[in-house]
Amino acid sequence: MTAPVLQVKDLKTQFFTDDGVVQAVDGVSFDLYPGETLGIVGESGCGKSVTALSILRLIQEPGRIVAGQILFKGSDIVTMSGEEVREIRGKDIAMIFQDPLSSLNPVLKVGFQIEEAMEAHEKVPSKLALSRAVQLLKQVRIPAAESRVNDYPHQFSGGMRQRAMIAMGLANKPSILIADEPTTALDVTVQAQILELLRDLNQDLKTSIILITHNMGVVATLCTRVLVMYAGRIVEHGPVERIFKNPQHPYTWSLLQSIPRLDSDRHDRLLSIEGFPPDLIKPPSGCRFNPRCRFKIDRCLHDDPPLMDVGPEQEAACWVTMRTALSHNGDKRA
Amino acid sequence: MPDRAPLLRVEEVVKHFPAGLGATVKAVEHVSFEIYPGETVGLVGESGCGKSTLGRLVTQLLPVTSGNIFFEGVDLTKLRGEKLRQYRRQLQMIFQDPYSSLNPRMTVGDIVAEPLENFGLLRGRAKDARVQELLKIVGLNPYFNNRYPHEFSGGQRQRIGIARALALRPKLIVADEPISALDVSIQAQIINLMEDLQKEFQLTYLFIAHDLSVVRHISDRVMVMYLGKIVEVADSVEIYRNPRHPYTKALLSAIPIPDPEIQSKRRIVTLSGEISSPVNPPSGCRFHPRCPIAKVPTPCADQEPPLEEKARDHRAACHFSEKVPTAV
Repeated sequence: MTAPVLQVKDLKTQFFTDDGVVQAVDGVSFDLYPGETLGIVGESGCGKSVTALSILRLIQEPGRIVAGQILFKGSDIVTMSGEEVREIRGKDIAMIFQDPLSSLNPVLKVGFQIEEAMEAHEKVPSKLALSRAVQLLKQVRIPAAESRVNDYPHQFSGGMRQRAMIAMGLANKPSILIADEPTTALDVTVQAQILELLRDLNQDLKTSIILITHNMGVVATLCTRVLVMYAGRIVEHGPVERIFKNPQHPYTWSLLQSIPRLDSDRHDRLLSIEGFPPDLIKPPSGCRFNPRCRFKIDRCLHDDPPLMDVGPEQEAACWVTMRTALSHNGDKRA
Repeated sequence: MPDRAPLLRVEEVVKHFPAGLGATVKAVEHVSFEIYPGETVGLVGESGCGKSTLGRLVTQLLPVTSGNIFFEGVDLTKLRGEKLRQYRRQLQMIFQDPYSSLNPRMTVGDIVAEPLENFGLLRGRAKDARVQELLKIVGLNPYFNNRYPHEFSGGQRQRIGIARALALRPKLIVADEPISALDVSIQAQIINLMEDLQKEFQLTYLFIAHDLSVVRHISDRVMVMYLGKIVEVADSVEIYRNPRHPYTKALLSAIPIPDPEIQSKRRIVTLSGEISSPVNPPSGCRFHPRCPIAKVPTPCADQEPPLEEKARDHRAACHFSEKVPTAV
C-alpha cells in the first residue's frame, strides 16, 4: 500500500471553558491515503468537525490542540509556525463548509473570491487568474461560467454557492479536500448533484476527500472507508461495505438500525438509542457509550476499551462487539 | 378509507403573499386533499415548495387567499374570533425547531399548561396534575415541570412541544419537520413516540418533512408537493414501488440509502437546476424545465396537467405518467 498523505496520531483537542475542560477530541488516530474518500460520521458534538478544524489548525480560543501529531508529507502541522500552516492551508489542504452562504463574502464577486484563493499562494497575472476562475466554475458545472464569474453570491442558488465553494477549494489543486457537512443545508435533489460532483472530482483529480457528515446515506454514496465517532473518540472504523454490513460497535449498529430506510418495510419499528450523548466535561467512566448501550457488561462501566481488530481492516472499541452480543441475545433485528 | 367522512377536507386552497413591487409569491396554488380519521398523511417536498405554508393554512395560523378548509364538515375559513378559537383546540401543531418554539422564560410546566389556561379548562391542582400527566405521557420526568427549556436537550424539548400539542386533546396534529433539527439517534425516539401517541389517543397526523424516507416510514399516504402544487398522492408503499410523477421518481432516487452495495447499483435521476421561483412559476407543468421526460412546448410547457387518478387511490399530475420508470 502507498504511504498515507495524512497521518493523525493520538490527537487531543480540548476547550477550556468556564464550566470546565471539554474533551472534544480525545485520542483520535487515523491515516488518509492518496485518492481515497474517507467518511467521518457521528452526531453533533462527537468531535468530527473539531477533528477537521484541528487538521487545518483552525481551532479558536478557548480551544487548543493539547496533544498528538498531524503529519502531512512528513511534517507535523501541530508544531508548525503560523506562517508554515498558512502555506498549507487552502493550498495543499482545502476545506469547504456546511453553509456556503455564510462562507462567501456577500459584497465580493464570486470570481474575485476564487482568484483571491489562488493569489493567496502564488502571484497570478489578473487575466490568467480570471480565466482560471472561469475554468474552475466550469469544472464544478456552473452553467454560463463566463458570465457567472461576475455574479455576487446572492445571485447564486444554494447548490451553485456550494459549487462555487468547491471551485474555491480546488483553486490550488490541493491533495486533500475536507468537506464538512457539504450537503446538509441543501435539498436532496441538489445534494445528489453535489455528491456526484465530489465523486467525479475525486476520480478525475485524485484529490483525497475527508467527508464529515451525520448522514449514513451520504457516506454510503461517496466514501470507501469510514470512521465512526462518538463522544470525542473513534469507536469503529473500516471499509464502508464492512461497516454497513457487519458493524461491530453497538453504537454503529444502533445508528444503522435507527434510521428509516427508503427500501425497508415501512412498519418496522425503529430502534431508538435511549438517552443522549454525554457531557464531554465529565464523560462517563469506562466506555463512553456505556450509559446508552443495550449490550453492556460490567467491564464496560470502568474499563475503557481500545480499538481492537474485529475483521479485515476493521477495528472497534468494544469489549462485547455485535458478533457476541447478537449471538447471546438472539436479537431478531440482526 | 373512502367510506368514512374525512376529518379534514382542503378544497382548492390558494395562498399568495405580496412580495413587493407588485410581485406575488404564489406559495400554494389550488391544492385539494382529504385526511381521514386516524391516518397519517405525509407531505413531502423541497424547500420553497409551499409545504409549511400549507400546514399553517390547515391550522388556520395563516388565512387562505381563496379556497375552503373543512374540519369535520365545518368550513374553518368562514369562522372568525371565538368560534375559530374553539375549533383550534382540535388542531394543534408541532414545530421544527424545539429551541425557538418554546418560550425560554417560561417553565416547562407553564408552557404545557398554557393551552389549558387559554381555554380556561383546568385550574389549580387539577391543572398541575394534568401537566404532570402530559409530561409523563411524552416520556419526561413529571417533576421537571419547574425547569426551564434551556435545561433540556433538543430531543427532550421536542417532547415538551409534543406535550403542549396534546394538552387540549386535539384530533389533528400538524407536525412541521418535527425531527429534522434533531440528532440521528434522537430522531427514532421522537418518531416512535409519535407512533405510540397516535395509537393511544387516536390522533390523525399531517406530517410535513423534506425527508421522504422518514415520511414514508410514518405515513399511510404520501403527498408530494412541487412549487405550490400537489403533484402526486398515493399509499406510501405504492408511491415508492410505482411512482407516477417524474419529480417523485427523482426525489426517491436522490435519497441515499445507507447501504453502499445498493447505493452503488442505483441509478440516480439527476435533475438539472433547482426549484424555480414561486413568483414566476413556469407555464404549463411547473416541473417541465427540470423534467427528464418533458415534451416541450406541447403539452408540458403549455398545458397544466391535472391531478388525476392514474391507478386505484393513486393520483398524479403528469401528461406522461405511464412513462415514469418504475424500478428504483
